[in-house]
Amino acid sequence: MRAARWVGGRVLTGLVTLLGIALLVFAAVRVVPGQAERVLLGPLATDEQRAALVAELGLDRDLVTQFGIWMGKVLTGDLGTSIVSRQPVLDELAMRLPVTATIAIMALVIALGVGIPVGVLQALRARRRGGAVVSRVVGGLGISIPEFVLGALVVLLFSSVPLGITIGAFTPVAEDVGQGLLSSLLPALVLSVFCAAATARTTRDAVLGVLVEPYVQAAVARGETPWSIVRHHVLRNATIPILTLAATLLAYLLGGAVIVEGLFNVPGVGSYLLLAMDRRDYAVVQAGVMLAAVVFVATSVLVELVSSLVDPRVSTIGARA
Amino acid sequence: MTLIEIDDLVVEFQTSRGTVRALDGATLSADAGEALAIVGESGSGKSTLGTAIGALLPANGRFASGSVRVDGVDVGALDRQGLRALRRDALGFIPQDPIATLDPTQRVGRQLALVVRALGRDASRAALAQMLDEVRIADSADVLRRYPHELSGGMAQRVAIAIAMARRPRILVADEPTAALDANVRREVLRLIFEAAEQTGATVIWLSHDLEAVARWCRRVAVMYRGKVVEVGPPGVVLQRPEHPYTQSLIAAMPSRLQQDVPVRTYTELLAAQGAEAAAPLPSAPAPDRARASDPAPASADEEARA
Repeated sequence: MRAARWVGGRVLTGLVTLLGIALLVFAAVRVVPGQAERVLLGPLATDEQRAALVAELGLDRDLVTQFGIWMGKVLTGDLGTSIVSRQPVLDELAMRLPVTATIAIMALVIALGVGIPVGVLQALRARRRGGAVVSRVVGGLGISIPEFVLGALVVLLFSSVPLGITIGAFTPVAEDVGQGLLSSLLPALVLSVFCAAATARTTRDAVLGVLVEPYVQAAVARGETPWSIVRHHVLRNATIPILTLAATLLAYLLGGAVIVEGLFNVPGVGSYLLLAMDRRDYAVVQAGVMLAAVVFVATSVLVELVSSLVDPRVSTIGARA
Repeated sequence: MTLIEIDDLVVEFQTSRGTVRALDGATLSADAGEALAIVGESGSGKSTLGTAIGALLPANGRFASGSVRVDGVDVGALDRQGLRALRRDALGFIPQDPIATLDPTQRVGRQLALVVRALGRDASRAALAQMLDEVRIADSADVLRRYPHELSGGMAQRVAIAIAMARRPRILVADEPTAALDANVRREVLRLIFEAAEQTGATVIWLSHDLEAVARWCRRVAVMYRGKVVEVGPPGVVLQRPEHPYTQSLIAAMPSRLQQDVPVRTYTELLAAQGAEAAAPLPSAPAPDRARASDPAPASADEEARA
């Protein structure tokens, strides 16, 4: 009962956050200098054309009604129509989101698969001097190398040496699963370097923090093997910071990585939104911001729920506050 | 039969302020099945001595010289695997803060199951409940379902005792096991520890501040001061007629003495009052079972101070 109320509270907080973001987005578009009909139709349009557009966009109504209509449309899945392509925004996003999601999930899987074991090992060997220096240098390099440098190097390598993956010919997963995954691999790899380094560092710190806990010392005193201690006690207790980071990384990756998408010709969300901002395609920008907001809020609510499952004290503390 | 032999042990810690000697030539031995209490103020080296038995020193500590032998085996010379085997098969630790030594993310039942499974024994619900019944937890089925933060201190200490006793250790090291508990639970927990040890024939090394309880439960008591064992003997002798000035000051600070209006001085104050003579270096560690002369104990420090 208490748990259900806590979960309900988290979800409600998330919805309120989204409503706030919707208000901000709505206001931001209307605060931008220049009336929409002038920006959209240009200086040569007639007054009739402008009036028709104002009526079409509903800009002649009061702000509260406009917001209500927009929210109603968003909630029923109508994100408006792109002024540039004259296509429904939802359809365009639905086409591009799977592309971005495939790359994001691949990058995250690589990052966690590499970062967590490396972080655990680093923590367990933190006392040995040589290893610490090497891991710090490699980790620092991974975190600080810019995507456009790493991506450009990968593009250069794969376009000058035939390694089986063609650069520039991107196949969405929706068309061909095998080819789609293969062409997602390089962008995912480039994106995963930063994420893996960040995961390794967070994991290392979290594990180091857990290793000095009395319950780990007690397990050592019971003569348990290091592997058993890591598996049964350390990983569980180090989960929450790693999970929080993973959710942040996922939300970041789903928002679309503009540079990497550009380098690898990926028709993803990032390049779409960049183009829309350039052309003042407000419906697309609004939808993109809302999408990013939903992803962020949803992952953070999910992280809190999973955290409370992993560590029962989280929900207790939450209920008390 | 001597089970634990600590011989002239020196343990040093590397700290940011240089090397600190936690043990400075401590010598002590314990027989199989005996209950030995170690008393002394914080920082006297009690805890270090307790952990040294399992070579469980913190990362910055090391055996500088001397030796710890358990059943004739030099603990300092064991490799990782040998140490794990020693800790798994022979040692049980009962902690000061039992809640902190339980994994906060797992229910009590699951943690007991982990311990029991590692021993290759039955980890069924009934077997786990039986473990808790043995440490006199009334509602064992309910406690199995709880998380550590949902336990009281006394309850958690019983769980910790159940975990320690699951392996039927030959040596039970209890580091102030009642320090974090309410007064009314202390006696019950102590009884539990000593009865369990008696049933299994385990040697108890009890690190304590509580001199009166020590006199009740232990046949022998060792007094530690500044990394050395300064006095060992039956509590009746050591506590009634303390020989070492530090023991005298320790006893003068007992609550029952306070009620008798005996002036209380710290050992340092005593030294100052006694002047240069008493400030001479501490007597070297006595033989563990030194025979006590029947001649009158040296004049009480209190009297000297008053003179």
